[in-house]
Order: sequence, then C-alpha cells, then structure tokens
Amino acid sequence: MSMLRTIKPKNARVKRALAQREPQIVENEKTAIFVRGQATSDIVRNVMKDLYALKRPNAINFSRKNDIHPFEDSSSLEFFANKNDSSLFVTGLHSKKRPHNLVFSRMFDGRILDMLELGVDDFKSMDEFDSPKSSVGIRPLMVFHSDLFDVHPKYMSIKSMLLDFYNGHALKEIPLIGGIEHVISITAGPLPSDIEVNGLGGGAEEDTKNLPKVHFRVYTLKLISSGVAKQPKIQLTEMGPSIDFKLRRIQDPDEELLKMSLKRPKLSKNNIESGLGKKKKNIETDQMGDKIGKLHLEKQDLSKMQGRKMKGLKIKKTKTSTSANDDIEIDEE
Amino acid sequence: MDVSQQLADYATANSTAVLNRTTPVITDAGLLAAFDNTPVDAEEYGANLNPHLLALTLTSTQALISSLFGLPTKSSNSGPITILPEPITLLPREKPLPKPKPLTKWERFAKEKGISHKKKEKDIWDEERQEWVPRWGKNGKNKQSEDQWLHEVKAGDDADLDPAKTARNERKARIAKNEKQHAANLAAAANNASTSSSSSGKSNGGGVEKTQEEKKNLRERRKDELKRSMLISKTSTASLGKYDEKIEGEPKIKGIKRKFEPTVKSNEQGGFKIEKDSQLDVLKRLEMGVGKVKKSKKGSAGEEGELNVRKAVRFQGKQDRANGSTASSKFGAAKKGGKRR
Repeated sequence: MSMLRTIKPKNARVKRALAQREPQIVENEKTAIFVRGQATSDIVRNVMKDLYALKRPNAINFSRKNDIHPFEDSSSLEFFANKNDSSLFVTGLHSKKRPHNLVFSRMFDGRILDMLELGVDDFKSMDEFDSPKSSVGIRPLMVFHSDLFDVHPKYMSIKSMLLDFYNGHALKEIPLIGGIEHVISITAGPLPSDIEVNGLGGGAEEDTKNLPKVHFRVYTLKLISSGVAKQPKIQLTEMGPSIDFKLRRIQDPDEELLKMSLKRPKLSKNNIESGLGKKKKNIETDQMGDKIGKLHLEKQDLSKMQGRKMKGLKIKKTKTSTSANDDIEIDEE
Repeated sequence: MDVSQQLADYATANSTAVLNRTTPVITDAGLLAAFDNTPVDAEEYGANLNPHLLALTLTSTQALISSLFGLPTKSSNSGPITILPEPITLLPREKPLPKPKPLTKWERFAKEKGISHKKKEKDIWDEERQEWVPRWGKNGKNKQSEDQWLHEVKAGDDADLDPAKTARNERKARIAKNEKQHAANLAAAANNASTSSSSSGKSNGGGVEKTQEEKKNLRERRKDELKRSMLISKTSTASLGKYDEKIEGEPKIKGIKRKFEPTVKSNEQGGFKIEKDSQLDVLKRLEMGVGKVKKSKKGSAGEEGELNVRKAVRFQGKQDRANGSTASSKFGAAKKGGKRR
C-alpha cells in the first residue's frame, strides 16, 4: 500500500470511484489478474488464455512478462492488487524444476491470503474441441468429485480456491433458462493405497508427488425436457479446456487473516430484501404507499429535432459546379 | 468401414444416464456448486478416464440442476428468474467488513445529550416568492440578507456601515468555521484510524488493552515531556544555547507574551470609554474590598465578639473525653447550634 500514493479526490466522479474501492458490506465480484513470469512455456500461456476466457469479464490479462515469484516474494502481486482493485491472481511460470507452473493466489485486504501451485500435466485447449462455447459473462455451474475435497486439507484448499475463482460471488437470482450454459467439473483422482495409510493425517509432510491429479474439465450443458414437470434432463458436450493438474506447493492462509476474511456482515432481513445493504437512490414510498421513482434524463438536443418538412426549406443541390472544392461544401439532406 | 467406435462415442456424448451414488450429492445452490463426496472409482478412473469424468459430471450436474429447478421463482419480462438461497460454503471476503464511520464532535455531543438527528431538506419554502428555494448554493436562501435591494439600518449603526458586506462577511465566517470544524473532525478520525490499525497490528501478544483515548493522551504527554527536556538541555550550556547548532524540526521556544493596551485608542476600538470603565472598575473594587484576605470558611469565626462554635465543640469534646464522662447531650446540642449558623 505504501508504494501507491493516496489519491485525494478532486471531483465527485473520482470520489465515487474511490468510495467503491472501500470495503463494502456487500462486495463486488472479485477480479482476477493473469500475469506471466519471466519464463513461461507455450502450454502455460495457452492454459492461462483459456482460464482467462472462462473468467471474463471479471479478469485482466497482463500481456508483459513480470519478474514474479509469488512464493518467494509476493510484494509485486500486492502492488498489482492495490493498483487494479483485484484479489485473484494466476501467475504463469515455467522452470526446469517446476515445468508448466501455475500459481493461484488469493488476496484479502491487499495482502496475500493463500497460494496454490499447480503444474499442468496434460492440456487440451478450447480451440481443439469442435463444439459450441459458452458466452462471455455467463456464470458456470461448478461440480467437485472425490471425497478428498471434503477431507484432505490440500484438496480442500484447491476446492476453496477454484470455487472462489469462478463462482465466489454469490448471485441473488439467475434465469435458469438462458442463464446457464456450461459446467466446470473438477475431479481428484483416487488416492494410491500406500498414501492412504499414512497420508491423511500427515498434512504438511506429505510428498505432493504421489498425490492424485486434479482434472479440470468444462462441458456445455443442454437441457432436455424429461416429461417430469420442472425437472429437465441434461446432456453434456465437452467444450474445453481440459487440464490435468498436478499438486505442487501450497501456502496456507494465516489463521488470523482467514478468520477476519470469513466474517459475515449482519444484515437485517429488510436490508436483504431491498437492495442488500446498498443505498437506494431516487426511490421512495409516499404516504399512500405508492412507490415513486425519480428518473434523470439527459438534456434533449433540440437542434437536431426534425421539424416540419417543407419543399421550400429544402436545400437544393446545385448542379453547376465550377471547381472541385464547391462540390464538397454542398450539404446533403 | 467400422463406425462402432464413433457410434459409441456419440452414445456417451448424448447420454443422460446417471451413476449410482452411495452418498447423495451435496448441492450449494447459492454458489451454483455441487460436491460429490463419493470416492472416485479407481478401476474406472484408470481404464477410461474421460468417459468416467463425463459420467461423474453428468451425475452431479443433474443433481444440481434438479435442486435449482426446485427453487422458488419470480416472473420478469424475460421469463422466470430463480431466486437463489444464501450460499452454504464459506469463502473469504475480498476486503474486511467496513468499519463504522467515526462520529464527528457534534455527533458525539448529540449522542451524549440524546439529541436526535433532524433531517434538513435541501430546499426551503420562501414565503414571499411562494416557491421552494435552495437553502444554500446558487440563489440560496442564506444569501437573501445580502442580496436584498433595501437594507434596514438600525438607529445606533455607524454611518459608513455596509449591511450587505457585513452579512456576506458573516456568511463567509460561518463557512470558514464549518470548514475548520470539518477538517478537525477528519483529522481526529484519521488519527483514530491510524492508532487503531497500529494497535491491531501489534496486539498479538495479548495483555491489557488500553483505550484509544488513553493511548493518545500517553503519546501526547510523552511528546510534551521530550520537547520540554530537550529545551532544558539546550539552555544548559554556558551561552544558554545561543551558539548551539539547530536541530531539524526543533520546537520554537515560546515565552509569555505580554499584551499592553494602546495609550490612545481610536473610536473604533471603543475610545476612552474602555479606559474610563477600567479605572472605575478599580475604584469599585477598592470600595467593595474585593481581593481582601478572606477569613477561612472552615473556622467560621463569625462576627467579632461571637462564639466560634466549631472550635468550642471540639474543645468541649476533648475535655469530655479526658474526663471520661458521657456528655453526649451537651455535645449534640452544641453541634446543632453550629449547624444552624
């Protein structure tokens, strides 16, 4: 925070924009930043491109390389977060030790909350699937398979991170017909039998190499009437990307920070029903109980209004052109 | 040509078949998510991965869709809209909960006194013009007294008094005062915020927490103390610090400033009236004997020749105790007398 100077608003627009960045009771959707490290591989870049396409429009893609190593020094991520008012990061890296590396980071209050490092094992991009794609801005459904997401601390943090990444912002309402197009499916493989014995309790000491992969699949969804009222059947077509992730390093959240971030505001029922803690402007109820709204319209531009058309007022095209310059100046109706 | 493979692929792609689950799929409709906590079948997973993932997804998505379609809806112009419940899964917020706005000095006072907030409309009814006019700003009501074409001049006013200018100056002074108060409120809020944030950062060790007021007082006192001791040490050289090097940001030594009345005062400053008043005041004081050494209240010796009851009572009490006799009745009577005076 110290790297950015504090801006004193000079006009109402800037003031409003800054006020929006202040902590809110009901928060806006988290913005994700996709940023590349100094060395990236083609695979990592393509994975990031597809993840970005799924996250749009709440995502910012940084096209330049940055000297970022989130696990070693997270200060530049914090700088980017403050500058862009965003709290999710995907950093793409590639090295001999950790090939095709993706680091998912999450911020709280301008500081790193937790980080998750995944290696790309197998990747098939969205373009390689010959199928219809979802539209931009449509909220995906998310499904998680495997008991590991419920019991294993590392997989629990994967679940929390990925769920927060694509579906973290709770919607109040959604049109089911036309509002759902695709589903993101995340599956963890079965745990090898030798790990199962000593694995679950261990936590930090576990060797991540032997942990099962995480499969990231995206399908488009088609609703078919099933005959039963209001309960449609579905058909899935793979839309891509299809990514197999390998688990690498994980930085768990600071306990105190996590506790603070999980605090929920106390909203009165009345507030929840009307605007969810947001200030309602220009709407009031009069003494008769009628709702009255005030609309602000822009000033009407009367100069362009079409008046009555008359033959005499028409600007005639003069055929007699003496030079080329004259031609240009003739007004056309 | 063998198309059996393609046919099989097509069949799997268009299937709506659902796997059997031992534990039901948990759905979180608020986040549009579903969690299938059944362990993944290792055999199927190893043999044909992608069809198995598709089948798994189909199963859980079907459960999610079913739960979503069971939710209440409301109608809109573009078809029914499903109202989603609150999410079950706890996910971290982006920023901490907003802190309550710090109270201004007036708000604190009002709260203490129990004064309730009175909402002021921006517009005010103008009785003369019979319309609503803004309270302040362009064509504001607060400029009425300076904009009027005719000003009433009171009998005692100076001849060169400009009523419009006086009214304007008064208004500007009110604005300046308000701005000053606003700045002070902002500064106090910023100060509070900084102390609270620094204290929250440090308060990991626990221990007794001090209130912000106490901390502020402590810091101010320490600052004053430092300043004072520095000034003392500076003057403790032979030259009383005259030839010492100046330190950056050194506080200025402030002596006591004596203020003298001017010998001759102009009419505007009150003329000779003030001087006359002050002299008369001195005379009055002399007459009344103000400033004489007061007789001690405690002693309540009273007027000359009268009895000092308190002393008498104490004297009597001492004697009684020395004699060992119970002269309580006497004692009580004397005390009563003393009280009456």
